[in-house]
Amino acid sequence: MLSVLIWLPILGAAVIGFLPAAVPPRQIRNAALTVVGVTLLWSIWLFTQFDLSSPTLQLREYLPWIETLGMNYELAMDGLALVMLGINSLLTWIALLSASENTERPRLFYAMILLICGGVAGAFLAQNLLLFFLFYELELVPFYLLISIWGGEKRGYAAIKFLIYTAISGALILAGFLGLIWLTGSANFSYVAALGQTLPMNLQVLLLAVLLVGFGIKMPLVPFHTWLPDTYVEASTPVTILLGGVLAKLGAYGILRFGLGLFPAAWSVLAPVLATWGAVSILYGAMAAIAQKDIKRMVAYSSIGHMGYILLGAAALTPLALVGAMSQMVAHGLILAILFNLVGIVEQKVGSRELDVLNGLLNPIRGLPSIASLLILGAMASAGIPGLAGFVAEFLIFQGSYSAFPVQTLVGVVGTGLTAVYFVILLNRTCFGRLDTKTAYYPQVQFEERLPALLLTALIVFLGVQPTWLVKWVESSSTALVAAVPLALEQQIAVLPAAPPELKSAVSNLVQSK
Amino acid sequence: MSQWFAQTAWLIPCYPFIGMLLSTLWFPAITRRTGPRPAGYLNAVTTFIALIHAVSALPSLLNQPALHLNFSWLSVAGFNLSLPLEISALAMGACILVIGLNFLAQIYAIGYLEMDWGWARFYAMLALFEAGLCALVLTDSLFFSYIILEILTLGTYLLIGIWFNQSLVVTGARDAFLTKRVGDLFLLMGVLAIYPLAHTWDYSELAVWAETAQVDPNLITLVGLALLAGPMGKCAQFPLHLWLDEAMEGPLPSTILRNSVVVATGAWVLVKLQPVLELSPTVQIATIAVGAVTAIGGTLIAIAQIDIKRSLSYLVSAYMGIVFIAVGAGQSQAALLIVLCHAVAMATLVASAGSIVLNNITQDLTQLGGLWSRRPITGLSFVFGALGLVALPPLGGFWAMLALTDGLWKSSPGLVGLLLLINALAAFSITRTFGLVFAGSVQPMTVRSPENLWAVTLPMTLLAGFVLHLPMILSSLSLLPDWMTVSKDLALLITWSSIFGISLGAVVYVGGSVKKPVVLPWKPLQDLFAYDFYTPKLYRSSVVGSVDIVSRITDWLDRYVVDGLVNFVGLSSIFGGEALKYGNSGQTQFYALTIAIGLVITALWLSWSILSNLAITNDFVALATSWLHLG
Repeated sequence: MLSVLIWLPILGAAVIGFLPAAVPPRQIRNAALTVVGVTLLWSIWLFTQFDLSSPTLQLREYLPWIETLGMNYELAMDGLALVMLGINSLLTWIALLSASENTERPRLFYAMILLICGGVAGAFLAQNLLLFFLFYELELVPFYLLISIWGGEKRGYAAIKFLIYTAISGALILAGFLGLIWLTGSANFSYVAALGQTLPMNLQVLLLAVLLVGFGIKMPLVPFHTWLPDTYVEASTPVTILLGGVLAKLGAYGILRFGLGLFPAAWSVLAPVLATWGAVSILYGAMAAIAQKDIKRMVAYSSIGHMGYILLGAAALTPLALVGAMSQMVAHGLILAILFNLVGIVEQKVGSRELDVLNGLLNPIRGLPSIASLLILGAMASAGIPGLAGFVAEFLIFQGSYSAFPVQTLVGVVGTGLTAVYFVILLNRTCFGRLDTKTAYYPQVQFEERLPALLLTALIVFLGVQPTWLVKWVESSSTALVAAVPLALEQQIAVLPAAPPELKSAVSNLVQSK
Repeated sequence: MSQWFAQTAWLIPCYPFIGMLLSTLWFPAITRRTGPRPAGYLNAVTTFIALIHAVSALPSLLNQPALHLNFSWLSVAGFNLSLPLEISALAMGACILVIGLNFLAQIYAIGYLEMDWGWARFYAMLALFEAGLCALVLTDSLFFSYIILEILTLGTYLLIGIWFNQSLVVTGARDAFLTKRVGDLFLLMGVLAIYPLAHTWDYSELAVWAETAQVDPNLITLVGLALLAGPMGKCAQFPLHLWLDEAMEGPLPSTILRNSVVVATGAWVLVKLQPVLELSPTVQIATIAVGAVTAIGGTLIAIAQIDIKRSLSYLVSAYMGIVFIAVGAGQSQAALLIVLCHAVAMATLVASAGSIVLNNITQDLTQLGGLWSRRPITGLSFVFGALGLVALPPLGGFWAMLALTDGLWKSSPGLVGLLLLINALAAFSITRTFGLVFAGSVQPMTVRSPENLWAVTLPMTLLAGFVLHLPMILSSLSLLPDWMTVSKDLALLITWSSIFGISLGAVVYVGGSVKKPVVLPWKPLQDLFAYDFYTPKLYRSSVVGSVDIVSRITDWLDRYVVDGLVNFVGLSSIFGGEALKYGNSGQTQFYALTIAIGLVITALWLSWSILSNLAITNDFVALATSWLHLG
C-alpha cells in the first residue's frame, strides 16, 4: 500500500519522460497533475487507515533486497511520516498547479518533479537506513537539474552550490549511519535494529553531531544555510515550493527520526546546545530577513528562522513541544508554499521582486487585490497570528519548551516579533502604498493561478481554527519519541561498562600510544 | 425566552463575524457591479441582530450568577485547552456597549464614508472588532484573551491601513501593528510563564489560585510585568502610546469605536488579571506608575496638539492611565465604571469632532473657530460629551471619579491629589478644544458649515443623549457609589478641580482676552508637549535603531563571513563558473555528465559498505574516539 506513493510518481515520471514530443505542454501538465492527484488521494486514504492510538510503525512492507549489505526494502510509517507524506503529495500537486503552462521542455520538467515526489515519499517511508539514504540522494539530481535549467539568472551558481551542500550533507549522513551500524555491530541497516543502541556516550554524541550537521545542512540551520537564499531565489516558483515545503522538511524529519530517534540519550545531553542553536537560528533568520530588499529572498530567510522553532521544540524533549515541532513542519510547509506561490505570481505579473519597486498592489482597480489580500494572510500566518496554522505550532513549541528552556523560549517569542517586523515591511512596501499608475498595466490574474493559494489558505485557516486536525496525527509519535529518552538514560548507565571489548582495547591502545 | 438568549450568548460574536465573512464577497469583483454599499448595510443588519440578542439576554442575567459554558478546542499530549465562556450581567452589558457603539459607528460611516469605495474592507474590519470585543468580554480565559487581542492587532493594522495609498497611513498602520505586537508578545511570555505556576488560564481559577499562591516573588514580579505589558500596548500607555496618535490617520468612524472600546480591551484584561497582579507589590506600583505617567503626560500633550483627533486621542491614553491607576490600587469596580463612562463620552466627542471635520475639510484646530452659532447640534453634543468625560455632577465621569477617589482616599491620599490634577488638566484640555472649534472668530475654513446628513448627526445626538442618561441607567442597576457613604468633601474637591480646569480653559480659549496661538514662556517645554515628549525619536534611537543596525550587521555577516568562510566559498565559486559553462552549452553532454556523476555517487555508495570492512576505516573511527577521550 505504501509502495504506491513511491512507485506511482516514479512510473509516471518514466511515462511522461518518454512521451512523444508532439504532445502539447498543457496535456503533459495535466498528466502530471493526474498522477500526483492520484498519489494525493492515496495519501488521504492512508490518513483514514491510520490507527491514531498506536505509536508503533504501521502498514509495514518488507522485501529482502541486498542482504549482504544489510539493505532491505523496508517501508512503514508512523504519524510523523504520515503527515510528511501528506505534505509531500499536497505540495507537489500545488507546485504543479503553480507551474506555468508554457514551461520549456515540459517532459523533462514534469518528469523530474514526479521523480522528486516519489523519492521524497520513499525517504519518509524507509525503515532501513541505507534505503533512506538511497532515496535521500535520489532527489539530488532532479533538483539540480530543475534549478540549473529552469532557474533564474544565476541558476548555474545556485545549482552547483545546492549540489555541493547536499552532497556534503549526504556524505555526513552516510558516515553517521555507517558508523552507527559498525560500532553497534548490527547485522543490517534496519531502523528497528538500530534502535536501542548502547554505544558509549562519547561515540553517541559524535555520531549525533555528524547527523545533525548532515541534516542541518538540508534543513537548513545557521550557519549551514547559505545555499538556501541563493537556491530558493534562483529556482522557479514550483521548484521553490518543493525545496522549501518538502525538501527542508526532509532535513527536519531526518533530525527527528534519526537524530532524536536513534540517539535519545545523546540528544538529551546535547539538548541545551540544540535549544540555543534553535534560538540563534530563529533570531538570525529574522534579522537577516529584515535587511533584505528582494521579497523572495526575504521569504527564503524567513524559512531559516522557522526551522529554528522545530529544533527548539525538538530539543525541549516534552511531548507537547515535540507535537509543536512536528506541527510546525506541516504548518511551515503550507505557509511557505503559499508565500512562494504568491511571490511568484507577483513577480510574473509585475515583473519585479524588489521592495523599492513594488507598491500599492492592494489597489482594487489596477493592482492585484486578491493576490495582495492572500499575501497579507500568508505573511500573517507566518508571523504567528492566532487563528492560522502557524500560531498553533509555535504556541505548542513555546508552551512545551518553556519549562525546559525558558530563556531560549523567550528568545523564540522575540523571534516571532521580529518575524512580524519584516512581514510588515514586506506588506507595507508591496501591498500598501500608492500604485504607480503609469506602469501599472499588469496582466489579469486568472482563477487557475489563484487556485493554489486559495486551497492553501483554506487549509491554513482550517488547521488554525481546528488545530486538532493538525496535531492528532503526530501525538503518538512524539509521545513515543520522548518516552524513549529517560529509559535510554537508565540503560546507558547500566550498560556503559559492557561496551564492546575490542573497541575498548583499541581505544586504550591508541590513547597509550599517544 | 430571555433565558434562552442568555444560554446562546456565544452566538453574539458570531453574527458580526458572519457579516465580516460575507463582506469579503464585496471585494473588487462584485463591487464593480453593485457598488460598495451593500457590504455596509449587510454588516449593519448583522450588528443589529447581535444587539437584539444581547439586549434580550440581559434581563435574565441581572442579579443572577453567571452562566458558564465550555467548548473543547485542543487536547494533545496531556494538554487540554477548552474555551470557557462566562456569561454574566457585566459581560453582557459590555457586549451591549460594544455592539451599540459599533452600530452607531456603522450608521455614522454610511454618511461619513459616502464617497468611499473601500466599504467592504472597512465594514469587515469594524465587524471583526465587534466580534473580537464581544468574544473577549465573554471569554473567561487569559489564553483566549491573548488570541483575540493578537487577532485584533492585525485588525488594527488593516483598519488603520484602509486608505493605504497615503504614506502617513502606511506608517501609522505599521507602527500601530508593531507597537501592539510588542505588547502582545510580552503578554504571550506572561501567558507561557504563568501556566507552569497556576496550571490554568481561566480568570476565575487564576483568581482563586492567586489567593493562596506561594510563588517566588522575583518570578511572579517578572510574570506580572509581562502580563502588564499587553494591556499597556492596547491602552496606549507610555512608552507604547504613540500608535494611538498615528492611528488617527485612519477613517474617523473607526476612531469612534477605537477610542471608546477598542483601547478598553487592555483595561478589561487588566481588570481580569488584577488578582494575579496583586501578588507582587512591585507590579502594582509599576501599574500605578505607568498609569500616572501616561495620564499626566497624555493630558499635557493633548493640550499642545493642534489636530482635533489627536487632542482627543491623547485624552484617551490619559483616561486609560487613570484605569491603570485604579487597577494598580485594587479598585477594579471603579476602573470598570471609568471605562464605561469614558467610552460613551469619548464616542460622543469623537463623533462630534468628525461632524466638524467632515464639512470643514480640516482637522487643524488653528484653522477652526466660531462654529457655535453655525453648528449648534454638534456643539451641544460636544459639550455633553465633554461634561460626561470630566468629573462634573451629575454625569457619569463624576460618579466614576468619585468611586475611585473614595476608594483611594484612606489608603493613598497622594493618588487622590494626582487624580484631581489629572482631572483638572483633562478639563482644561477639552475646554481648549471646544474653545478653538466653537468659540472665537470665524475662519476661512469655517465660513460655510452646515450640519451634516442625518446619518452623521443622528448617531452623534444619540450618543450625546446616552451620555446624559448614563447616570440614570447606572443608578437603576445600582452601580453608582452610594451617596450616603461616600465622602462629600471628595465630591466637592473633584467638582472644584473640574470647574477650575474648565474655567481656566475658558478664560484662555473661549474668552478673547488671550492672544492665540498661546505661547508658553519657555519654548523647549512647549516643544516637548507639542512633539509628544519626542517619543518618535525615543523609538528611533532605541528599539527601531538597534533592530535596524543588528539586521544590517547580520546581513553583512551572512553575505561576507558565513557564506565566505564557513561554507568554502572558493570551492563553490570554482564549480559555479564551471556549471555556468555547462548550463550555456550543449545540453545533451550536460545531462550525460550529470547522470554519470549520479552513477559514480551511487557506485561509491554501494562499494563504501565493502570499503568499510577494511582496517583503515576502523582505524579512523578509533582515532576519532580517542580524540574525543582526550578532549
